[in-house]
Amino acid sequence: MKVSDLVIRLAYEMDESEAYARAKQAAYDLLENPHSRIRPYFDLLMMALVLSSVFLLLYSVKHHLGAWSGWFENMVVSFFILEYLGRMWVYSSTHRIILDEYEKSELINQPFRLSKALWSILRSKWSYISSPMAIIDLLAILPSYRPLRILRLFLLFRLFKMFRYAHSIQQFGSVLREKRIELFSLFTFLMFVLLVGSSVIYLFESPESGGQVEGFFEGIYWSLVTLSTVGYGDITPQSFEGRLVTMVLIISGLGVLSFFTSIIVSAFQEKMGEVRDRRVAMLLEKKKGYTVICGFGRVGQVVAEYLSRDKLPFVIIDSDGEAVELARRLGYLVVEGKSERIGLLQMLGVGRSAGKILCLTGDDVVNVYVTLSARQLDEKITIISRANQRQSVDKLMHAGANHAIEPFKIVGLIAGEYVGQPVAFEAIHGIVMGENDITLEAIRVPPGSWLDGKTIGEAPLEEMRLILFGVTTPMNRSSNHVRNHFDLESQRFQFNPGADFVLLGDDILLVFGHKYSVSHMRQQLKSGRMGR
Amino acid sequence: MSGGADNKAGIFSQAKRIVIVGAGAVGLEVARQLTERGEVVRIVDDRESGVEKAKAKGFSVERINLQDDEELKRVGIGGEADILFALLDEDASNVFLVISARAIAPELPIVSISGAHDTIERLHAAGATKVIDPYRISGYKIYERMHRPMIAETLEHTVFGKVNLDIAEIHVQKDSFLHGKYLDELFIEERYNLIVLGVVDREYGDQLVFATDPKRHRMDSGDILVVIGPEEAFVKFHRDLNADNK
Repeated sequence: MKVSDLVIRLAYEMDESEAYARAKQAAYDLLENPHSRIRPYFDLLMMALVLSSVFLLLYSVKHHLGAWSGWFENMVVSFFILEYLGRMWVYSSTHRIILDEYEKSELINQPFRLSKALWSILRSKWSYISSPMAIIDLLAILPSYRPLRILRLFLLFRLFKMFRYAHSIQQFGSVLREKRIELFSLFTFLMFVLLVGSSVIYLFESPESGGQVEGFFEGIYWSLVTLSTVGYGDITPQSFEGRLVTMVLIISGLGVLSFFTSIIVSAFQEKMGEVRDRRVAMLLEKKKGYTVICGFGRVGQVVAEYLSRDKLPFVIIDSDGEAVELARRLGYLVVEGKSERIGLLQMLGVGRSAGKILCLTGDDVVNVYVTLSARQLDEKITIISRANQRQSVDKLMHAGANHAIEPFKIVGLIAGEYVGQPVAFEAIHGIVMGENDITLEAIRVPPGSWLDGKTIGEAPLEEMRLILFGVTTPMNRSSNHVRNHFDLESQRFQFNPGADFVLLGDDILLVFGHKYSVSHMRQQLKSGRMGR
Repeated sequence: MSGGADNKAGIFSQAKRIVIVGAGAVGLEVARQLTERGEVVRIVDDRESGVEKAKAKGFSVERINLQDDEELKRVGIGGEADILFALLDEDASNVFLVISARAIAPELPIVSISGAHDTIERLHAAGATKVIDPYRISGYKIYERMHRPMIAETLEHTVFGKVNLDIAEIHVQKDSFLHGKYLDELFIEERYNLIVLGVVDREYGDQLVFATDPKRHRMDSGDILVVIGPEEAFVKFHRDLNADNK
C-alpha cells in the first residue's frame, strides 16, 4: 500500500469521525467563535496570564525570584504554544484539503499526487502564520532573550480585540498615501534643513574652536533636537555663527511642525465622513434585526422617535446634510448618502442582519427603487414604504414592499370624518395618533392560563375597565355567538363576540383601555391568578 | 369610516359646503374623499402651477389671491362655507390663511395640517379648530405595522379598510328611547352588536369620555355616543331610533 493511499484513507476516516468534528468544533468555540459563550472566559484567562508574566518580568528586574518563576514562565509559554497550534489547527481543515485534491484528481482522471496536496496545506497554514494576529502570537512565544518578553504585551492587543480598529489604521495609511506629495516635499525640505544645520554646526562648533560637537553624528542629533523644538540643551552652541544657525533652525522647525500637522488634520477632515460611516457599520455589525430608515423627513423623524423610545436599534440614511445633522444631534445612528446606492444598503447590512427597511422619502420614484433593491438583496426582509401618490401603492407592492402607507389618504379619511362626525373624529384621531392614554391593545390568552376555556362573560374585562373590540382566532373557528367576523391574512377577527363565546389558548383579545389596565391584565394572565 | 357614511349618518346628511385651500397632494386627496362622501367641495389655490396640475388630474380648481380678504370672502369664507380646510404645503402659508379666515369668520370650523411638530401650536394660536399632523399619523402607523402588527392589521381590515365596520356618532334626541336611560342598562353591545367607545355626557362637559371611565352615564338629549360596528347594525339602530320618534 502506498503512502498516499494511506493518507487518503485516513482523511476519509477523519471526515466521517464525529468525535474529531466535535473536538474541532469545541476548539473553534474556545478560540475563535465570536458568538460562543465560553470564549470570553478563555480570553480573560489569557489576559491574566499575559499580565502576570509581564508583571513577573518587571518585578524580577530589581528582585530575585525563586525557581518557581521559571516553572511559571514555562507553563505560560507552553500554554501560548498550545493556543497557537490550536488556532492553526482550526484555521483550515487539512483532511478536507487532501480530499478536495483527491476528488479533483479523480475528476480529471489524473493520478493523485501527495506532494501537491501537501503544498496546498502548507499554503493555507502559511496564510495563517503570516496573518498579523498570528505574528503577534508568535512574538509572545519566541523571545528566549528575556527582556524581549515584554513583546507579550502585544497579545493584549489581540485579546482586547483591537483589531476591530484595524480599519481605522488602514484609513490612516490611506490618508498618508493621499497626501504623499505634500509629505514628500516636506520631508525633502526637512532633510535639506537638517543637512545644512548639522554641517554648519559641525564646522563652527568643533572642539577645536571651543564647541561641544565632536562628530558629524552629534551635529545631526543636535539639529534634529533643535528643529523639533525639543531642545535638550546637552549640546549648546557657543559661537556667534552657531547661535545664528540655531535661531534659523528653530524658526524653520516651527514651520515644518505646523505644516505637518495641518496636512494630517486636513486629510482626516476630508476622510471624516468615511470614518463616521464605517463606525456606524461597525456598531451595527453586532446587532440583528434592526431597522434601516431611508429618508429622515417628517415621517422618518416620527418613526425614529418611536423606535428610540422603545430602545429598538435602527439606522438612518439621508442624502440631505441638514437632515443628517439633525439626526446626529438627536443621537441617532446616521449615514449621509443616497439610499438608491446598493453598496450603501449592503454596507448597512441589508441582505444580512437588517430585519426591516422603511422607504420614507418624499419621492415615490426613490421609494420604489429602494424597495426593489432591498427586495433583491433580501427575500425575507420586511419592507414598508411611503406612497405619496395613490398610484404608487400598486407599484410599491409590485416592487416587493410588504406594506405601503399613504400619508395623505389618512388625512383624507380623518378629514372626511371631521366633516360628518366631529365627535367620532376625536376617537379616531386618538387611535391613529397613539398619543392618548386610551389605546387599542392586543392581549394574548396564554394556553393553559385561567382564561383558557373560559367564556367572555367570565373574563373580568369590565372590572378591569377594558372594552372588548373583538377576538382574533384561527381561521377555522366559527361560533354562533359572533354576528360579524372578518378574515385577516392568517387569522379571523371575531367582532364583538357575545358573553358566551369561549376563549381558547393563543386567542388574542383586542381591547380598548387605559394602558395601565392593559398591562395589569397581562400581568394577571402571566402570574396565573384570576384577576380581580 | 369607509364608504358607508351617507346612510348611517342619515340624521345630519345634508351636504356640507367645504372650501379646500391648497391643490397639492393632500388637498386633492381630501377633496376626492369628501366628494365621494357627497359633500360639496370647492378647491382654491394661489399658485398657477398647482392649479394646472390639479386640472390635469380632473379637479376643478379656482386660482385666487390668498392674501386678499375680498377673494376669500368671494369663495365663501364668512359666507356659505361650512368648513374650511387649510392644506397648503407651506406651514407659514397655512398659518397666514388661518389667521385671515379667522378674522373674517370667527365661528367657522377650520381644519389645517402641520408639516413640523412645532407648527401645531402656532396653528391653534392662529385660530385653527383642528390640526392634523399627517406625518405623525403616518409615522405612528408605520411603527404600529412593525411592532404591533396584529392591531395594525385589524384596524386596516376593519375600521380603515373596505370592510364595513364604522365608527360613528349617535346623537341622543329628546324623544328617543335612549333618553333618560343609563348607558349600562341599554345593552347596546348585545342588542345591536355595536360597541360603545365613548360618550359626550353634557353633565360632565363637552369632552369625549371614553367608555373605560368608571362613571355611570345617563343619556339625555344633546349627549353623543361614539360607537363602532357593522353597517347593518347601524341601520337597525337608526330604524329603532326613528321608530321611537314617531
